[in-house]
Amino acid sequence: MKLDLVKYSLNNLLHRRLRSWLTMLSILIGVMAIFALASFGLGVRHYIDELSQDMGTDKIMMQPKTAFALSEEDYFTQNELEFIRKVNGVGEAAGMTFRSSQVYFKDSGKIKYVYSMGLPTDETFEMVEQLLTVDLLEGRTLKDGDVLKATVGYNYGIEDKVFKRAVRLGDKLHVNGVEVEVVGIYEEIGNPSDDSNIYLTFDGFEEIFGVKEQYGYIAIRVGEEENASAVADKIEDKFRKYRGEKSGQETFTVQTFEEAVATFSNIINGITGILLIIALVSLIVAGINIMNTMYTAVVERTKEIGIMKAIGARNKEILFVFILEAGMLGLAGGLIGIGLGYLVSKAGGAAAAAAGYASLRPYFPWWLIAGCLAFALLVGSLSGLPPSIQASKQNPVESLRYE
Amino acid sequence: MIKDYVRLSFFNLKRRRLRSYLTMIGIIIGIAAVISLVGLGEGLRNFVTAQFNIVDADVITVMASGTGNGPPGTGVVNPLTQKQLDRINSVNGVDVAFGRLIQLGDYLFNDKRGFTYIASIPAGEERKIVYDIVDLKTDEGRLLKDGDTLRIMVGSSFKDNDESGKRVEVGSKLEIEGHDFTVVGVLEKKGSFAVDTTIIMNEEIMREIFSEVGDDEYDVIVAKVKDGADMKAVKQDIEKVLRKERDVEVGEEDFSVETPENAVKTLTSTLSAINIFVYIIALISVVVGGIGIMNTMYTSVVERIGDIGTMKAIGARNSDIFVLFFLESGLLGMVGGIAGIILGSGLAYGLAAIAGANLGLDISASVSPMLVILSLLFSFIIGTLAGLLPALQAAKMNPVDALSESR
Repeated sequence: MKLDLVKYSLNNLLHRRLRSWLTMLSILIGVMAIFALASFGLGVRHYIDELSQDMGTDKIMMQPKTAFALSEEDYFTQNELEFIRKVNGVGEAAGMTFRSSQVYFKDSGKIKYVYSMGLPTDETFEMVEQLLTVDLLEGRTLKDGDVLKATVGYNYGIEDKVFKRAVRLGDKLHVNGVEVEVVGIYEEIGNPSDDSNIYLTFDGFEEIFGVKEQYGYIAIRVGEEENASAVADKIEDKFRKYRGEKSGQETFTVQTFEEAVATFSNIINGITGILLIIALVSLIVAGINIMNTMYTAVVERTKEIGIMKAIGARNKEILFVFILEAGMLGLAGGLIGIGLGYLVSKAGGAAAAAAGYASLRPYFPWWLIAGCLAFALLVGSLSGLPPSIQASKQNPVESLRYE
Repeated sequence: MIKDYVRLSFFNLKRRRLRSYLTMIGIIIGIAAVISLVGLGEGLRNFVTAQFNIVDADVITVMASGTGNGPPGTGVVNPLTQKQLDRINSVNGVDVAFGRLIQLGDYLFNDKRGFTYIASIPAGEERKIVYDIVDLKTDEGRLLKDGDTLRIMVGSSFKDNDESGKRVEVGSKLEIEGHDFTVVGVLEKKGSFAVDTTIIMNEEIMREIFSEVGDDEYDVIVAKVKDGADMKAVKQDIEKVLRKERDVEVGEEDFSVETPENAVKTLTSTLSAINIFVYIIALISVVVGGIGIMNTMYTSVVERIGDIGTMKAIGARNSDIFVLFFLESGLLGMVGGIAGIILGSGLAYGLAAIAGANLGLDISASVSPMLVILSLLFSFIIGTLAGLLPALQAAKMNPVDALSESR
C-alpha cells in the first residue's frame, strides 16, 4: 500500500517534469552553496586540529604584550629565559627571535621583505621545529656552528613565488645586505607569509642584525604528566614577580597552545557561521518555491483528490502523498546540490593551493553529507506541509465538483 | 494599449493571489538580504574610510616599506631620514613636508597598563599645519604648543576609560616609558580609531624617551602639496627623489608614497573583495527567487492555454501574448523588489544601530540611491528574464491546439 503511494508521488513529479526540475534547481543551488561553504569552514578547522596535534597539547608560548614594534626592553633576556626554565613543571624552554628583513637574490634582482627567525641549535631545536610544524624538504637543518647559513621556507624553492628564479641549495641570498648560504629548504606550511620565512642560527642572527640573547618569543614544553594550563598560570605568576610587575600590568602574555588554537577556531567558526546563515537565505527561498509548486499541484489535482477520497483514501494517505512529493523534491535537489558543491569545493581548494594557501582545503566528513541531505529533505517536506494539509482536508464532494 | 496590458497583468496576478504572494516573497527575501548586506558592508567601508582622518585631500604620505604588519614604521629595515625629508621639502610642488614619529607604546594610568599608538607633533610653523590637516581640536583643555615637554594630548577614547570609576582628564598623570606626563588636552572625537586612541606629544620629548627611535629618523613623512599642483606629478617627483636618495631602482622601491585617495583605495580594496564574496552568496537567493518566478509563469501559461487560444482566435498577435506574460513576470519581480528594498533597508539600519550601540562605534548602514535603483532594476530584470521562456512558449502557441488542449 505504502509503495503504491510512493509510486504515485513519483509519477506525479515526473508528469510535471519541467516544474519539478525548476523546483529542484532552486533547492540544489542553496544546498550547493551551503555544502561548499561548510566544507571550507570544516577544512580550516580540520587543518587547525591537525596542526595542534602536531604541536602537541603540552606547549606554552610567551610573547611580549605588544606583538608589534618591540622596543628593546620588551624582549625577553637570556636571564629571563633561564628563570623560566627553572619554573616548576617546565620541561624545556627555548627562545626565538625574529625581525623584518630585506632579502635580495642576485639571480633575480628583486628585493623582498620577509621575516627572519633566529632559532636555537641546542637540544631544544627539535621542539622548535615541531612548533613551527615544518619538515625539511631538502638539504639539512641548521646546526651548532652555522653562522652565515640559512634554511628557507617552501616558497623560495618555487619559481615566481618569492623570486622569479627558484632558490636552490647552495645559492646565496643577501639578508639585510649580508650574504648567507641556503643549506636547507622546508616543506610547505600553507600560507604565503610563513612559507617565505628565513631561518638563521642565533650566531647568524647576531651577525646580521647585531642583536644577541634577545627573544621575541619563548616556547615552552611542560614536563611529563604536567597540566599545561596549570603550568602557564604558574609561569605567569612567577614571571610577573620576577619582573616586579603588578597583576594587570604585565608586559608579557603566557598562553597555552590549546588556548591560542581555541581563539583561532572561534574566529573561524564565527566567519563560517555568518556565511552559512547568508547562504541559508537561499534555501528559505527555495522552500517557498517548493511550497508554491505544491500549492499549484494541490489545486491542479483537486478533482483527483476528490476521486481518491471517494473511493476510500483517508486524509492521512492524501497528506502522505503530498508530503512525500515535496520531500522527494528536496531530497533530489539535495543530492545533486551536494554533488555540485563537492566539485565547487574541489575547484576552490585547488585555486587556493595554487595561490599559496594550501592550508585552505575543503574537508568532507560523512556527517556533512548526511546532514545536508537530511536538511534538504526537511526543507522539502516542511515546505510541503501546509499545501499537503490543505489537500488532505478537502471535502470530497466539493473536490469532485471543482472545475 | 500598454495600460490595458498592465491592467490585465495585475488582474491575472491578483486572481492567483496565494501563488503571486509566495513567488514575490522569494524575491522579497532575496532582495532584502542583498540590500541589508550591501548596506551594512558599505557602512562598514565608510567607517573604515573615516579612519583615514585626513581632511585635506592635498596631502601625500611617505612610509618606508616593511613586512607590512602592524602600525606605520613597524618592521622597517631602512627608515626614512631627515635628509630624505629635506629632499622632499625641495621637490617642486611641495608646499611643506614634515616628519612624524608613530610608535606603539605602553602607558600606566590608575595602576593599569594600556597599549596604544603614541605620535609626535613637530614644533613651530609645522605644528599649525598638522593641526590643520588632521583638524585637531580639543574637547577639554588645550592643544600642545611649543615648549611643552612632559605634556600630552589624548584621544577622545581616553574619556570613557573608566573601569575603576576613574577617567583620564585634563591634569591626569600618565606614565609613559618611565616618565610622568600630564594631560593638557583631550581631543574631540574623530570617529577614527587611530586618532581617538592616540597619545600625542611633542617630537622633542618623544625622541628623548623612545631610545629605539634613531636620531634623524622618521616613521612617516607628510607632504602638503601646493594649491593647484598636480598630485600625481608631485607623487612621482617624490618617488624619483627618494629612489635616488635611497639608491634603489624603479620597481624595487623600499618605500611607499601614497595620496589619500590611493591609501584608502588599498585598504578598501581588501574589504571590497570580502564584501563582493558575501554579496555573491546573497545574490544566490535572488536567483533562486527568479527560478520561482519562472516556475510560476510556466504554470500560469499551462493554466491559461484556453485564454491564450481565445485571445489569439479573436485577433491577438504573438507579440501581444508575449508582452502580456512578460509584463506579468516583470511586475512580480519589481513589486517583490520594492518590498525587498524596504525590508532590507530597515534591516540594515536596524542591525547597524544595534551593532553600533553594542560595540560603541560610529557605524551606520549606508543604503545609497544607486543601490536602491540597481536592486530595483535587478529585480525587474530577474523577473523578466525568468518570464522570457514561458512568455515565448505562450506566444508561439498554435491557437487551434491551445483551444483544443484546454478542453
